[in-house]
Amino acid sequence: MSAWHQALPLTRRAMLGGLGCAGCAALAGTAEARIRPADMKPLVGPGHRPTAKDEQGLWQQYERVEEEIAGSNLLVRDAALAAYLGNVAERTGGPAAGDLRVYLAHIPEFNAFMAPTGFMVVFSGLLLRMRDEAQLAGVIAHEAGHFLRRHQIRQWRDLKRKTAAMNFLGMAAGLGYGATGIYAGDLVRLAQLGGILSIFSYSRELEAEADAMGLKQIAATGYDPGAMPETWQQLIEEIEASAEMRRKRPKRGYSLLATHPAPAQRMADLRLSAKEVTTPRGVERGRDRYLKALGAHRKTFLDDQIKLNDPGASLYLLRNLAKDGWNGLLRFYEGEVWRLRGQRGDSALAGQSYAAAIGFADAPPEAWRAHGYQLLKDGRRDEGLAALRRYLALAPQAPDAAMVRHTLGE
Amino acid sequence: MLRGPLVLLLSGSAFLSACVQTRQVADVEFEPPRGDYSLIVMRPDVSVGLLTAGGLVEPRADWTEKARANLLKALAEQQAGRGGRTRILETRSGIAGVSADQVAELERLHAAVGASIALHKYLGATLPTKRRQGLDWTLGEDAVAFGRATGMDYALFLHAEDSFASTGRVALQVLGIAGCIIGFCAPQQGGGQSAYASLVDLRTGEVVWFNVLQTSSLAPGIQFGDIRTPEGAAQMVERLLGRMKAGRAVRARQ
Repeated sequence: MSAWHQALPLTRRAMLGGLGCAGCAALAGTAEARIRPADMKPLVGPGHRPTAKDEQGLWQQYERVEEEIAGSNLLVRDAALAAYLGNVAERTGGPAAGDLRVYLAHIPEFNAFMAPTGFMVVFSGLLLRMRDEAQLAGVIAHEAGHFLRRHQIRQWRDLKRKTAAMNFLGMAAGLGYGATGIYAGDLVRLAQLGGILSIFSYSRELEAEADAMGLKQIAATGYDPGAMPETWQQLIEEIEASAEMRRKRPKRGYSLLATHPAPAQRMADLRLSAKEVTTPRGVERGRDRYLKALGAHRKTFLDDQIKLNDPGASLYLLRNLAKDGWNGLLRFYEGEVWRLRGQRGDSALAGQSYAAAIGFADAPPEAWRAHGYQLLKDGRRDEGLAALRRYLALAPQAPDAAMVRHTLGE
Repeated sequence: MLRGPLVLLLSGSAFLSACVQTRQVADVEFEPPRGDYSLIVMRPDVSVGLLTAGGLVEPRADWTEKARANLLKALAEQQAGRGGRTRILETRSGIAGVSADQVAELERLHAAVGASIALHKYLGATLPTKRRQGLDWTLGEDAVAFGRATGMDYALFLHAEDSFASTGRVALQVLGIAGCIIGFCAPQQGGGQSAYASLVDLRTGEVVWFNVLQTSSLAPGIQFGDIRTPEGAAQMVERLLGRMKAGRAVRARQ
């Protein structure tokens, strides 16, 4: 599977064990060259079906996986939103437009993956981070790019070829040692390490291909290609904001064992590529359409994010969305981040956010409750009780209504 | 999905054994079904692949289809021999009165319970509170409800994998063993089978019997059955389900 972001198992490090890695860069080659969108041609036509034995086997396995995912209770059950995502995939899917399926999983992480058979899974945390349809289209087109360029089967064949070569090499060296007494074990291990690194390097190359292919597709369908590097900039800034608040060094994602290129590298390449494919008509952002399709889910997904206890990332994310304008929902959750962090001074910051939130017509009822309790804490009793009454008026069926009535002395 | 086999390969320690192994566990009060009983086989999970030179298993759709058909036929025949009526559930929506979602949930529940049985009965993590108590796991009310809705007495969950060494893999196997002559022994794992069967009594919901089968070989060209052929499939069914032993308490009374 080819994931959009990073899902790297711990085993990579363990795999190399004690092997020193001083000379690895020379073995694996330096940074991969940028792939130009113009060079990316789809390798599948409409209604692609596997003909080779290995690809047929891969498809058969994934058909069962898709059945499992389609029936999973992790999916967000919203037919309208599913249809919307399907439409974006159809629009950006090129020749595969009619063959792509999109599943939305309720997982608060920035990720998505594409299966070889044409279905993709998008995580809810990804939708939360998208400012508009153009950004979303960029991600979906990247995933569709894996399908259009037949990445899974190409990667499988590459893996098959390299593991076989490593195995034969090991055997030949062993037999050579047995026959002649010349020990080549160290060299063989070095060569095998090169083989392992080249497997990961190929994976990064395919990711870069999917970026270029996706960029070409969204530009061709009229979206602003600048939306794709923006997504990477957002990711980098979010990682940095998260680390800064935890007083940790941010993970830059540079590694010879990474399956994906480092975010900064991708952003730089995408910026250059976006310039190449920008046309005067490619300016569509589709923000209103996106927000309408997302509807009440944005609140749910925000709620998930806030509870991850990652205040740096959460605040960054809220402020990034607020580049299109603050509203009651974003301000309320800004307050919630501070309240949940709960360090010295955070309570006052939360209070400011809640006060700002209720100034917007779209403030969620919970903002009134939070604002009310904050005022009570500050000793502003009458105003606080009034805010709580407003909460009950807005949400009479709220699960905590009885508790709030108790506070009100009713 | 590509990393697992890779890591296994690189760790360099495949399971070096050449044999056929089965090990069954049963509820202490288990009596093998006999006479007039009905059994539903839940969407059997079969996968047959090619073992590549590098040690990866490449799934093959045509082999899998063939093996699946042969296994199901062999299973129905074998059960008929014991007096049972067998019904095979091919798809989740293939049964009247039970929704695809209910079947899916029962399958997932069994997958979780089966993993627990594998951990505590096969992988060595024995539970001190369950010593000498046989198989003591249940799928609970859901399985009983499923039994009522289908009118079946037992449900059988079946998983079978088989793999065959590619030409390149066989060459490596030959070299690995031939090397012993000059003092470099590096036997390579060939293809092999692994399968499990799990029998659930739908009247109580309990998993009453569980069996695991493994075959493997280091010698090139030597195999312990080929489930792509009717004979090989019948052999696997026989190894897996042929010698069902009664539970300990039942045997003690006999």
